Amino acid sequence: MASTDEIIEAYGEWQSRSNANDRLRKMLRGWDRVVIVETTDTHERLTITVVDQTLTDIVVGAPEMVDLVVTGTSEDFCDMFWGDLNPSEKYISGEIVIHGAQADVMRLDAMSMVAFLDQ
Amino acid sequence: MHVPEQLRDAVVIGAGLAGLRAAVDLERAGCDVLVLEARDRIGGRAWSGVAEDGSTIDFGGQWLGPGQTRALALAEATGMEVFPTWVAGANVELREGERLEYSGLIPTADPDASIEVVTAMLDLDLLGLDVPVGAPWEHEDAALLDAETMATWLDRNLASPVSRGIVEVALQAVFGVNSDELSVLFVLAYLHGGGGLTNLTRTTGGAQERRMDAGAGALAAHLAKKLHGRIELDAPVDRIEWDATGVTVHVVGRSVPVTARRAVLALSPILAERIALDPEVPQRHALAAGMTMGRVRKVHARYARPFWRERGLSGQLISTNGSISSTFDNSPSDGTSGALVGFIAGRDYDATADLTDDARRNLVLDELACAFGPEARLATEYHEVDWPAEEWTGGGPVAVMQPGVLTRVGDALRRPIGPVHLAGTETALEWCGYLEGALESGERAAAEVVASLALTKGSEEG
Ligand SMILES: Cc1cc2nc3c(=O)[nH]c(=O)nc-3n(C[C@H](O)[C@H](O)[C@H](O)COP(=O)(O)OP(=O)(O)OC[C@H]3O[C@@H](n4cnc5c(N)ncnc54)[C@H](O)[C@@H]3O)c2cc1C
Repeated sequence: MASTDEIIEAYGEWQSRSNANDRLRKMLRGWDRVVIVETTDTHERLTITVVDQTLTDIVVGAPEMVDLVVTGTSEDFCDMFWGDLNPSEKYISGEIVIHGAQADVMRLDAMSMVAFLDQ
Repeated sequence: MHVPEQLRDAVVIGAGLAGLRAAVDLERAGCDVLVLEARDRIGGRAWSGVAEDGSTIDFGGQWLGPGQTRALALAEATGMEVFPTWVAGANVELREGERLEYSGLIPTADPDASIEVVTAMLDLDLLGLDVPVGAPWEHEDAALLDAETMATWLDRNLASPVSRGIVEVALQAVFGVNSDELSVLFVLAYLHGGGGLTNLTRTTGGAQERRMDAGAGALAAHLAKKLHGRIELDAPVDRIEWDATGVTVHVVGRSVPVTARRAVLALSPILAERIALDPEVPQRHALAAGMTMGRVRKVHARYARPFWRERGLSGQLISTNGSISSTFDNSPSDGTSGALVGFIAGRDYDATADLTDDARRNLVLDELACAFGPEARLATEYHEVDWPAEEWTGGGPVAVMQPGVLTRVGDALRRPIGPVHLAGTETALEWCGYLEGALESGERAAAEVVASLALTKGSEEG
């Protein structure tokens, strides 16, 4: 199990990598979304916002209006944010579940493949 | 009204999954139904045999994936084991004589090219979502999208020959043809119905996720059992006379035709067009002329054990040169023996069609050896099914559309011709080209028939 602080720290790494990745940023064009990260083991909800092709800081808690909810274990989120785990493999095996509009789910899936390929 | 004694409620032409599903549903609805099948077997493109070691070989359709609810439920109803396709280990890519290993969906040796592939596949999948299911011609850019081939779309959207090669292999695997034979609008509609190209090319989480222990043939057998012998084999239909009240169906070599109030044509539009209709409907010819059956040769190489697993390999191959473009581990679920399944499709099919069987087998085994190690040459059994040579299918996995067809005559795919209703995976709204689509189309056609018979009955009584 990973603590919320550990997830936030790992996300910081993912965020700076992603925001420095031109290819990923290109894929985020016109895609402002509110994404909730929900842990199944520690029952934590954290919010990531995508604005102007940039990932914002992660914040604890979730607003009412969200576009995507990504559910998984705290450990998996940590490993994924650190880049130790291929998020797309966890997604296809059903260990990470994404809820949202089909187009948004497809884009997040593709973005996670690109992020992993590019690191 | 005088009703001749042998007048049935419905006759179904084709005992593939579409026809069998339609017939079972019709019988359940209380219809007197007969199925006419050209071959000496049922199943059509769902056809299984037995290997020397007793395990099942699927000569045609074999995989099931998430979202294919009808096919998964039917597989469950047969009681057979449905198990995950073997994916553990590294995948192999053969490119210009080079052998590379990778993990995940897309070969990773050239990250720039891989990212281009992911992006292009996402673009296609997102474009597909905008294509109206069942009426692609209603898309606001339908004319434009249907005027273009996938080849020119790829030219515009992929800069590197490597990424181009990978997407070409993906299209070849899904459709059995190459990009220059495909209308963009057709591809987008197909992708929408099947959850996207990413989904269609994935193993875990996608269309190749699961296998059936007793094979796809067991799905057909399960449905056929419910029909209590109301299937006539070796009964190729060559002509159907029809009017508002029903059909007279002529079987080659038989003097007595079958008469029924309704017919279901449960075969690909290309095969269906070979059956003459009287009166004829010209749109059918335009539709069939603009469609091509995929060209695929399905190859099985069997081994004493799945030796590639011992080398940390998954058995999955993507090859942009050579004859085989993709392979998967097709060993029985307990792994007691090994099997690789591969596909020679599209251009590669054409290039190898004239080889002798021996020469082609050697070529294939050499390529497998290149990918998985020299043991691959020591196949204990080798099977090939040449789908274009199958008289009553004419190719596979599916009939595809060239540019201009969907917008011109696409609505002829499903629109009933008087009392003749149309089924077959090519007419499916979702999962067109798949076992699931065949079942969906059969279900839909049966519902149409039941509704129209009820209407007729109502008006007769009223
Ligand atoms: C090599 C290959 C691999 C595939 N892999 C997969 C897969 O992994 N997963 C998946 O979901 N799908 C796969 N498919 C596709 C799947 O098999 C088909 O979508 C499905 O089986 C089609 O069923 P159908 O009933 O629509 O048509 P068919 O199975 O083609 O049935 C039509 C029937 O009509 C009969 N017929 C033809 N002409 C006449 C006539 N004049 N008179 C009487 N009868 C006639 C034929 O003999 C046949 O039995 C694959 C197909 C092939 C060929």
